[in-house]
Amino acid sequence: MKKRYSLVLAGLLSTSLLLSACGGNSNSNNNEGNTASSSDTESTAPAATESKDTGSSGKAVTLQFWTLFDGGDGANMQTLIDEFNKSHPDIVVKNTKLVWAEYYTKLITAVGNGNGPDVGISHTSRLPDLIDQGVVTTVDDAATDAGVDWASYNQNLLNATVVDGKHYAAPIDTHPFIMFYNKALLKDAGLLGDDGKPVLEQSADGFVNFLTTLKEKLPAKVTPFALSNSNDDPYRLWWALYSQLGGNDIVSDDLKSAAVDQEKGAKAADYIQKLYTGGFIKKNDPDFYKNFQSGTAAIMMTGVWATGTWESTKGLDFGAMPIPKIYDQEATWGDSHTIILPTTKDNDPAKRKAAMIFADWVASNGQIWAKAGHIPSKPSVLEKQEFKDMPNRSDYASVASTVKFNKPSTKNWQIRDNASFKFLNEVWANKMTPADAMTKLQDGVQKVLND
Amino acid sequence: MKMNKMRADVQALLFLLPFLIVYLLFTIWPMIKGVQMTFYKWTLIKKMDYVGWSNYSKMLRDQEMWDALWHSTIFVILTTPTMIVLAIVLALIANRKSRMQKFYRSIFFLPSVLSVAVASFLGLFVFQPYTGLVNSVLHLIGILNEHREIYWLTETNLAWIAVSLITLWWTVGFNFILYLSAMQDIPDEIYEAARLDGANDRQTFWSITLPYLSPITKTIAMLQIIASFKVFLQIQIITGGGPLDQTRPIIQLIYQTGFKKNDLGYAATMSYMLFAILLILSIIQYAINNRKGANT
Repeated sequence: MKKRYSLVLAGLLSTSLLLSACGGNSNSNNNEGNTASSSDTESTAPAATESKDTGSSGKAVTLQFWTLFDGGDGANMQTLIDEFNKSHPDIVVKNTKLVWAEYYTKLITAVGNGNGPDVGISHTSRLPDLIDQGVVTTVDDAATDAGVDWASYNQNLLNATVVDGKHYAAPIDTHPFIMFYNKALLKDAGLLGDDGKPVLEQSADGFVNFLTTLKEKLPAKVTPFALSNSNDDPYRLWWALYSQLGGNDIVSDDLKSAAVDQEKGAKAADYIQKLYTGGFIKKNDPDFYKNFQSGTAAIMMTGVWATGTWESTKGLDFGAMPIPKIYDQEATWGDSHTIILPTTKDNDPAKRKAAMIFADWVASNGQIWAKAGHIPSKPSVLEKQEFKDMPNRSDYASVASTVKFNKPSTKNWQIRDNASFKFLNEVWANKMTPADAMTKLQDGVQKVLND
Repeated sequence: MKMNKMRADVQALLFLLPFLIVYLLFTIWPMIKGVQMTFYKWTLIKKMDYVGWSNYSKMLRDQEMWDALWHSTIFVILTTPTMIVLAIVLALIANRKSRMQKFYRSIFFLPSVLSVAVASFLGLFVFQPYTGLVNSVLHLIGILNEHREIYWLTETNLAWIAVSLITLWWTVGFNFILYLSAMQDIPDEIYEAARLDGANDRQTFWSITLPYLSPITKTIAMLQIIASFKVFLQIQIITGGGPLDQTRPIIQLIYQTGFKKNDLGYAATMSYMLFAILLILSIIQYAINNRKGANT
C-alpha cells in the first residue's frame, strides 16, 4: 500500500513538472508563432538592424507592426515599410501580416495578455470598441514628441478618430463607397458624355431615368446596376442615401439609445428596394464583382478598393466617380484605416514617438498607399504629381470630405451585423416593407445597445 | 499476485500519462474553467465582473437562444432519419455482388474525406442561382423555365433543404461504412435458409437484414443526433444563419455571442445548456440500449 502511495506521488510530481513545462512553452511558442508568420519581411530586417546599431544615433528602435492587409494592400504596405526603414536609420519597423478575419480578435487577446505589438492598424469604426477595452492608447503625447501636425490631415477623417477630445489614431486613408461605370456599355446606351463621364442628372428621378435608359438600350443579359442583394454594399448605399437625406446615424448622441430617423430611413430603403424590384439590379446576383469585371454590368457601387482590381482587369474600360447626389446633401458611406498605438507593458515613450513618426510618414506618403484605390488622408498628397499621374483617383478624391462616419459607439459593428444587415436584407428581398424594417431596426439597435 | 497486478496498473498509467496530461489540460480543465465563466461577464481580454446566476436567467428569457435551439432541432429532424435511410440504401447497393462493388464503395465514401469548408463551398457553388449546377441542370432538362431561378440559399425552407443535402452527401460515407460492415457480419446461411423457404428479396430485407442492423442503427441514430445538434460550419459558410437568422443554429449563436459580441460568459452558459441536452439524450439512449440488452 505504502509503495503505491509513493508511486502516485511520483506520478503527480512528474505531472506537475510537465504541466509547468507546458505553461512555459505555450508562451514562447506564441511569440514564435507571431513572428514566424511575418517570415517574408523578417529575412531582410535583422541585417538592417545590425547595420543600424552602429549608426551615429546609437541603438535603433525596433517596432513590431501588426497589419491586416493582403493582396495589393499587403504589397503596398510592405513597400511603405521598406521605404520607411531605408529613409529612417534609427527606426526598424517589422511587419506581421495577420488574416483580416481574425485580426481584431488576435489583437485584443494579445494586448490583453501583454504580447501585443507596438504599432497596429484599426478601422475608424472599430476604434471606440478598442478604446473601451483598453486596447489602444491616446496618441497625443507621442504625436507631440514626434512633431505631428494634425492640421495637415483631412479634418473629416481626423475628427472621426478623436474621442472625448483625444486623438487615438492617425488615419492613413479613407475607403468610401463610390460608383464605377463601364465606359463601353454607357457609350452603347448613349449615356457617355464627350468628357468620358456619364450623362446623369444628380437627383432621385435622374438616377432612375439613367438606369431605365440603360435597361432599355442595352441587351437583356446586361445588368444595368451590379450590386449584391444582401449585407455590406446595399447597406452602404442605404447609409449613404439616409445621410444624404440628413439622417444622423442610427444611435443617439449619448450613444445609449437607438435613434433611427424612421421617415428618412424608410424613404432611402424604399428608393433602393425599387431598384431591386424594378429589375435594375440582378436578383440574388451570386457575384456582382464578377458581373462588372466581365463587362456584363453597366454600373456598380462598392468601396474604392475595387479600383486596383478593375485596373488589372484586361479589356475593362471603366471610370470612377462619387455616388450620385440623390437627395439634399452629398454624403456616402466610408471607413478609414488608421495607425494605432496599442497598450504595451511599459508604453515606452521612445517607441511611441518612433511609432508616430512612422504613422505620420505613412500618411504623408499616401501616393503609394493610393495604388490600391484608397484616398490618402492628407490633402497635400492629392497635390503630389505621383498621385495625379494615377488615373481615376482624382475623380473621387473629393469624397473624403463627404464621408459620413458612424458615431463613436462601441457597438458599431454589432449594430451593423445584428440589426442593420438583418432587416435591410429583408427589404431588398421584398419580404418586408421599408417602414416595418425601420421599426424593427429601431428595436434591434436598442437591443444591441442594451446587451 | 497482487504485486504483479499493481505493477501492471502502474505501467499502464505510465503509458497513459502523456494522453492524460493533455486531456486534463485541454479538456477537463477548460470544462471546469467554463463553469466558472458562466457566472461572470467575461470578455476576450478577461475584463471580468461577477454576475451570479444572471447569465442563466437571461438565457431562459432569450428568444434568440430558443429560436437557435429550435433551428438546431430542425436540422436534427431533417438529417437523422434521412441519413439512416440513405446510408442503408447505399450499403445495400454496395453489398450486392457485382463488378462495380469496389467502385461503389469508393465513390460513396469519397465525400467524407473532404473538410467541412471544402464541402460547404462546393455546396455553395452547386446551389447558386444563375451559375449553379442544380439550377443549370433544371434549366437544361426543362423543369425550370429559362427565365426563372430558384434561390436555394436565400429562402428559408430551400436553404434548409440545401444545407441538409450537402451535409448528407458529405457525411453519409461514414455511416455507410458502418452499415456495410454490419451487413457483411450477417451470416450467409440465414439468407440461404430463407431462399430455400421461398422468401423473395423484399422479404429477406425486411425480416433478416433490417432486424440484424438494428443495434448499429441505434448507435448511428445517437451519433447522428449528437453530431447534428453540433451543426455549425456548413451553415455559417452556406447561409451565414440567414435569412433573418432563420437558419442560425445554437452553436453559431454561441460563436457570435462569444467572439463577435465579446461576451464569453454568456456564450459559455449557452454551451453548458447544449451540453446538458446532449448529456440527457445520451443517458436516455444508454438506458434504452441497456434495457434491450437485458431482454435478449
